[in-house]
Amino acid sequence: MKYIATIAGQEFAIEIIDEHHILMGLKLLEVDFESVSGQPVYSLLVNGKSFEAYVYSEEHDWQVVLLGQQYPVKVEDEREKRLRSVGGSTVGESAEFHLRAPMPGLVVAIPIAEGDRVEKGQVLVILESMKMQNELKSPRAGTAYRIRVKPGDSVEQRQTLLSVT
Amino acid sequence: MNKVLIANRGEIAVRILRACRELGIETVAVYSEADRQALHVRYADEAYLLGPAPSRESYLRADKIIDIARETGAQAIHPGYGFLAERADFAQAVQEAGLVFIGPKPSAIAAMGDKMTARNTVAAAGVPVVPGTEGEGALNDDDLIAIAPKIGFPLLIKATAGGGGKGMREVKNIEEMPDLIRSARREAEAAFGDGNVYLEKLLLGARHIEIQILADQHGNVIHLGERECSLQRRHQKLLEESPSPFIGDDEELRQRMGAVAVKAAQAVEYVNAGTIEFLVDKDKNFFFLEMNTRLQVEHPVTETATGVDIVMEQFRIARGRQLSYKQEDIRQDSAAIECRINAEDPYNNFMPSTGRIAHILLPTGPGIRVDTGVYPGFEISPYYDSLISKVITWGETRAQAILRMRRALEEYRIVGVRTNIPFHQKMMDSHRFMGGQYDTRFVEEQFSFEEVEEGKETYPEIAALMATLVAHRQMERSAQVIQRGERDTSNWKWVGRWERMQR
Repeated sequence: MKYIATIAGQEFAIEIIDEHHILMGLKLLEVDFESVSGQPVYSLLVNGKSFEAYVYSEEHDWQVVLLGQQYPVKVEDEREKRLRSVGGSTVGESAEFHLRAPMPGLVVAIPIAEGDRVEKGQVLVILESMKMQNELKSPRAGTAYRIRVKPGDSVEQRQTLLSVT
Repeated sequence: MNKVLIANRGEIAVRILRACRELGIETVAVYSEADRQALHVRYADEAYLLGPAPSRESYLRADKIIDIARETGAQAIHPGYGFLAERADFAQAVQEAGLVFIGPKPSAIAAMGDKMTARNTVAAAGVPVVPGTEGEGALNDDDLIAIAPKIGFPLLIKATAGGGGKGMREVKNIEEMPDLIRSARREAEAAFGDGNVYLEKLLLGARHIEIQILADQHGNVIHLGERECSLQRRHQKLLEESPSPFIGDDEELRQRMGAVAVKAAQAVEYVNAGTIEFLVDKDKNFFFLEMNTRLQVEHPVTETATGVDIVMEQFRIARGRQLSYKQEDIRQDSAAIECRINAEDPYNNFMPSTGRIAHILLPTGPGIRVDTGVYPGFEISPYYDSLISKVITWGETRAQAILRMRRALEEYRIVGVRTNIPFHQKMMDSHRFMGGQYDTRFVEEQFSFEEVEEGKETYPEIAALMATLVAHRQMERSAQVIQRGERDTSNWKWVGRWERMQR
């Protein structure tokens, strides 16, 4: 099976030959890969060198925390990659953004109003959780609408608070 | 005293329980509905439910806590830190119920709790304070604006009842002052029910250094040296160490600060463990900031550097005995560093992270202490603060303590919630930290978490390989799920056979 992994624009061609052999670019690697006691913590022995990392998926990417560094990795098999290059990759640019609560908490303030024009990085909601006030910002410019909560509301994790279009 | 109620939760409740165990004191824990399975409940001899998860319905229910102490026959209450620890009315109520409050007298808590009174009291005793509106009483907005130019800009607006950076505003010039006073008052009113504020000069390039003191009921007051707490984010301490690399071997300064701290404590007839916080400018002038009238989160730093068990001494003091140490017995001759491991995502603007701890492997080995209240399967809830554990390392020298901390952070594994461990790892690798060159602005202004430290090796190929292997496994698994439906007999036949077997 052939994959393309991308980290910050850098592409790695990775072919899984069998359980213990991988072709990385032109290099043949001998690997042993195990999850530690069924957890998303993985131990990798590659040509005798030992690495351990925490690997989890987030949105459409994988996050790898390795030796104190976090690497966001996009993994695609060859077919997916080809499809994407044909279909173009402009998805997400124009789509609307739904602000979801990253954790359960209490809405302290909403410094914007329905229909307001918001800038990228502007604070949309202040959410209190774990005794800290957290500013939830807009990832892009647009118009705020469908504000579904008000100050004083308790919200659950991933609950949609408002949208930006 | 042979039975004590611990009016707290989390790692500090466990810390106090441990001291009780060592002293042979029976323990009574209290807990909220969210903490039924917490470690302090599991470790205590007795445990009683206070109420629902929110603090004001559980850990802040002073009346219920005192009732439980009475009913269980506990003779004393240890408040830990936070919650009721610095509430003079609670300390008073405990005394009136005929119980011992393990901490200072209510009058001392009240005197130091109001920041303005505290500044006036210690200034009268000859302790230097940061220049500001001390001795002025409560001022209205116009008075504050009139007095500001005399103090000079930049300055800070602070809440009289303040703490944790709430109701605090930085002012660069007089034009922005009216708005900032209003918002500071609003925030203070919401957080403490008291909108009073005062002004204080903002010292640039200053360090936050505090002195631990112990005072018994016989008038003996000693200090246990300093803790350097300048590494903060949004006025929350992240990392503390002792000795302070800034004070270093300036023993004269250390003793002078210690003596002033003792004087400040004596000014309010302080008893038990407490901490005097100072701001120290780059010319080594130091100013009283405030006093914390309780055991502090970072007390293990001092315990590790001096060998004094502060919680044990707290019990000794509360029993009316003399301190086990005299000032000349205290030697701060090794180094200690503490990293606060918080459930916060450093890759996402330190956003709090909640969830179940699926897997945790704590660092151990030479020179390492971990204080925690969590275990595998424990749920980090949004109701309380985000502190998961404190990792403290000991070294003969500061360099050794740093090396041990690096190793400890590397060993530390936690799955299920995000933590700020990568932040601490980066800090341990930073040249400025290693050189001890940092002030209270360092984390927010000069320390870039995203920036890769120069010369630091990265492993993108390994990361790419691991992500691909995990993705590959996931795909194979989902392929198997589909195949399972393609077995040669239909699911209806399987159900039929299974039912026949049950007859």
